[in-house]
Amino acid sequence: MSVAKIHTEEAIYVYGPWIRIWHWTQAFAILVLGVTGYLIGAPPESVSSGEASDHFQMGYIRYFHFCAAYILIIGFVVRIWRAIVGNRHNREIFLPPVWRTSFWSEVWHEIKWYALVIPEPKKYVGHNPLALLAMHIMYVWTTIFMIITGLSLYGEGTGMGTWQHTFFTSWVNPLFGQSQDVHTWHHLGMWMLICFVITHVYVAVREDIMSRQSIISSMISGWRTFKDNRSN
Amino acid sequence: MAIINTPNGYKLDDSGQRVVVDPVTRIEGHMRCEVNLDADNYIRNAVSTGTMWRGLEVILKGRDPRDAWAFVQRICGVCTGTHALTSVRAVEDALNIDIPENANSIRNIMQLSLQIHDHLVHFYHLHALDWVNPVNALKADPKATSELQQKVSPSHPKSSPGYFRDIQTRIRKFIESGQLGPFKNGYWTNPAYLLPPEADLMAVTHYLEALDFQKEIMTTRTIFGGKDIHPNWLVGGVPCAINMDGDLAAGAPINMERLNYVRGVVQRTIRFVNDVYIPDILAIGGFYKGWLYGGGLSGTNVLAYGDIPDNANDYSPANLMMPQGAVINGDLSTVHPIDLRNPDEIQEFVPHSWYKYPDEAKGLHPWDGITEPNYELGPNFEGTKTDIKKLDEGAKYSWIKAPRWKGHAMEVGPLARYVVGYAQGHEYFTEQINFTLKALDVPISALFSTLGRTAARALEAAWAADKQLYFLDKLVNNIKNGDSTTANTEKFDPSTWPSDIKGLGFTEAPRGALGHWVKIKDTKIDNYQCVVPTTWNGSPRDNQGNIGAFEASLMNTKVEVAEEPVEILRTIHSFDPCLACSTHVMSEDGETLADVKVR
Amino acid sequence: MHETFYDVMRRQGITRRSFLKYCSLAAAALGLGPEFAPKIAHAMETKPRIPVLWLHGLECTCCSESFIRSAHPLAKDVILSMISLDYDDTIMAAAGHQAEAIIEETIEKYDGNFILAVEGNAPLNEDGMYCIIGGKPFVEQLTHAAKHAKAIISWGSCASWGCVQAARPNPTRATPTHKVPGIGNKPIIKVPGCPPISEVMTAVITYMLTFEKMPSLDRQGRPKMFYSQRIHDKCYRRPHFDAGQFVEKFDDEGAKKGYCLYKVGCKGPTTYNACSTVRWSGGLSFPIQAGHPCIGCSEDGFWDKGSFYDRLTDIHGFGVEADADEIGTTAAVIVGGAAAIHAGASAVKRATQQGDQE
Repeated sequence: MSVAKIHTEEAIYVYGPWIRIWHWTQAFAILVLGVTGYLIGAPPESVSSGEASDHFQMGYIRYFHFCAAYILIIGFVVRIWRAIVGNRHNREIFLPPVWRTSFWSEVWHEIKWYALVIPEPKKYVGHNPLALLAMHIMYVWTTIFMIITGLSLYGEGTGMGTWQHTFFTSWVNPLFGQSQDVHTWHHLGMWMLICFVITHVYVAVREDIMSRQSIISSMISGWRTFKDNRSN
Repeated sequence: MAIINTPNGYKLDDSGQRVVVDPVTRIEGHMRCEVNLDADNYIRNAVSTGTMWRGLEVILKGRDPRDAWAFVQRICGVCTGTHALTSVRAVEDALNIDIPENANSIRNIMQLSLQIHDHLVHFYHLHALDWVNPVNALKADPKATSELQQKVSPSHPKSSPGYFRDIQTRIRKFIESGQLGPFKNGYWTNPAYLLPPEADLMAVTHYLEALDFQKEIMTTRTIFGGKDIHPNWLVGGVPCAINMDGDLAAGAPINMERLNYVRGVVQRTIRFVNDVYIPDILAIGGFYKGWLYGGGLSGTNVLAYGDIPDNANDYSPANLMMPQGAVINGDLSTVHPIDLRNPDEIQEFVPHSWYKYPDEAKGLHPWDGITEPNYELGPNFEGTKTDIKKLDEGAKYSWIKAPRWKGHAMEVGPLARYVVGYAQGHEYFTEQINFTLKALDVPISALFSTLGRTAARALEAAWAADKQLYFLDKLVNNIKNGDSTTANTEKFDPSTWPSDIKGLGFTEAPRGALGHWVKIKDTKIDNYQCVVPTTWNGSPRDNQGNIGAFEASLMNTKVEVAEEPVEILRTIHSFDPCLACSTHVMSEDGETLADVKVR
Repeated sequence: MHETFYDVMRRQGITRRSFLKYCSLAAAALGLGPEFAPKIAHAMETKPRIPVLWLHGLECTCCSESFIRSAHPLAKDVILSMISLDYDDTIMAAAGHQAEAIIEETIEKYDGNFILAVEGNAPLNEDGMYCIIGGKPFVEQLTHAAKHAKAIISWGSCASWGCVQAARPNPTRATPTHKVPGIGNKPIIKVPGCPPISEVMTAVITYMLTFEKMPSLDRQGRPKMFYSQRIHDKCYRRPHFDAGQFVEKFDDEGAKKGYCLYKVGCKGPTTYNACSTVRWSGGLSFPIQAGHPCIGCSEDGFWDKGSFYDRLTDIHGFGVEADADEIGTTAAVIVGGAAAIHAGASAVKRATQQGDQE
């Protein structure tokens, strides 16, 4: 058993630099947004003394939230640009082929793999179909939702006449009822993303160990490697 | 039905001409009144109907009890705050919370400011036009008005002939414009208006002066509660923290400047009430002292819960500066103690109300109240469901329930409080009553009338203005003695609460005795019941056929012109009805709102 | 441009002679001498004050109370010199059918040229009979008057959004003005608040009279001049918010120093109103200055967002009432727990599979 395996499996270049940079900045932005967002809803213990101008605790929390939010937004825009101009892996999470029956049968296959019913998953160069679906719903749409509600909330501060207010606040507030509702749903969106992150990280680690291809290292090097040469 | 003798001693005869007043205006909310006149235009049958229902207690179910004050405060924007105060008291009673002494003083100042404001605005802006004819004021000689003014109130500075001439010119221009605004379609040619022109001019002038001044009275609440209308309250005390000269006192809700502002308002209020309101009541009362209709239940059955605790957290009668007790059957020698928690004392009946009970022969104590709306019209009703011509008082006919104390229909309100206070020998009240009777040269029996009710309200405003100053001094002294606490937050967190509790809160609203009964289960409101002054006064008939205070007071009044029943307005207005208050009740299964059938 | 009463009468073919006769009758009806007749005639031939019908549905009259408290202009001056408040059941002298007749008269004389002010709202359940005026449902009076009005002002949160009687479960189906069937597309100005600030109410009216046009409104129909900023944006305690200095509970050190009330539930950051700028009682104070968190009374549905003392508000609709953090933590714990269990199960499975392979 101690004989080292010789890896002759092919490797494919999947994630270009844009995508990798995007991924890790998003990860960073979401981390900052999550922490600061939580603190905006439940601020830390009151700063007890001194003049208000000596402190800027809540101000910094919000400032970092907004900075991270803009990083996330710009990253998201870059990602959409890559989806348009980049290779097909760049497009995947935006357009899962839900119209194909084969897609759904493969989703079913993955579900069975996760349910520990079947011993082996299929190999994928990009995302597996279940991951694709999860990315599409839990990441893409939640992020869009968070960007829209977030800009709407931001527009309340920048005020009438600013682009944030004109393009977002002015219609988002009435749509939800009032500002408080937008806050609440934005906050709920944060928890959705936290659930996504938990799932994403867990599954990435698990797949890295148990699936037939590389996962975490691919997002660092860009190369997808496989652990066997068998076809699906 | 022809003739019915009610257990509470009224002979009802519905054979004569039926006169309908709907809407009764210059009240809070919506109400309808129908009477039958005999051949000599005397009222022989009276039917009063609350014509709105909002379902507030249904809405309260399942809410956080700490929020309840804000909901019930919106029961009424005229007696704004009194429901909120009653509510925080009920919740504090349930949770056994003691409030700080300062909070008690501040709450009392807020509650007293309501009494004064409400009474003043009621008299000048809701009630005065029943006695005062603005059109007639145009005929006045401003000099005569000036003399009258200086005679009835020598210390009031605004009394020159030129001042009254300016006002008269303004009124004249207004009336000559042909656009009479609020004075349009009044009964200005009705012979029931008895004031001479100079008195009319004085009263109209004070209508405007009072309109300007009233906005100041409740600014004390803007200081303590942030807004004068629907101010903010807090379970456990008051939200306005006190910081006289500590760090950052400039930003504190209450500091020296704020207290000085309050003192200014309190002093100006005392002056206005004593220089304008009281003299006007005496002057106008003097011209109408032959018109002593409208006593109703005031001489026989009156009820007061009491209010304005001198020391915090003690709601026993001895500590309440407004009297508590009941007088029944006209026997002023005995004031009966009352127990709002006793299921046999206060009960609400619905045989004539648009609600449903499993057994309508019985009344229910508010803690066990049931409310299921049941809009149905009796066999003698005329019109259609959505176009009522004549109600059938033999069946259900009002959105108001009929509360009874030990089975008696009772009158509540300023007059009831003064009658109870008088019967108990309340020193301040008795002195005021004796002074008034002497000034008008009328016997004590004159008190039990429409005008008696109106006068009691003014006397109470004067008393309340005094007591505001008392509590402001008390607050300042307490701070001086080193106590600046305003809230007890020990039990503010719901996780500290027992799972199944109930509480009672009571106050004296400007219109009369107000009680809230709350049941709290697992930190949420399980049942919330309000029995409000206008529920008492405006109640329809009960299971025994007793008529309520509005109806009783209208009986046997002469109406000069049937088409212009200003006498009905006078008497109904003298109660200062608040219909939004009276018409909402709920039960344990309050959400099940039944469909309604028209018979 | 409004027609004067005289114009209307002439248009309807009434001669000057009968017009003057009407004026003397009017003078007589008021108990005035004949010398008043020409004065009434003169007034009717000149520009009238704009008539206002102020209707009351299910409400608490707090809007009227607020209106009469206006410090600038004084309510007295608005009523005597600016508008003609022809119908307002809270203060009008007339009652019963004489009061109801005023609505018809106004519609006849000033069709399309009067302002309809609505305080409170109409219940639609029980055929509208939860609020009865003149024996009929209030909603009939409302839609009838609305049809002929020039514009509608929805006073307060009742008329604008529904307010307390429309709070869950809204037993009477209380419906704000703009949602009442039959109102049509009359211009509606919402002036929300429970009540609105006195001077805001009178300012909306005086703006319309002074500039002879509607105030510019935001997307939800509120005048931008008072409702385009949150209370938070101009709150004098805002520096304490940014500094992170909060009142943790009532009457604590922070409360005495006037720190930010955010953590005890202040809705200033989500409430569009002029409380922190115009303030109450002629600029004297406002709730936050008096130490209580804003409860958001000018916002749609503010009653149904959970406790006024909670920072995060309730979400309804899942059959549970919980705030976002409660829901979120639960979800995150479930997801995290599921991942942990799954990881364990996967490890066991993998171990057994590898065992099988060996």
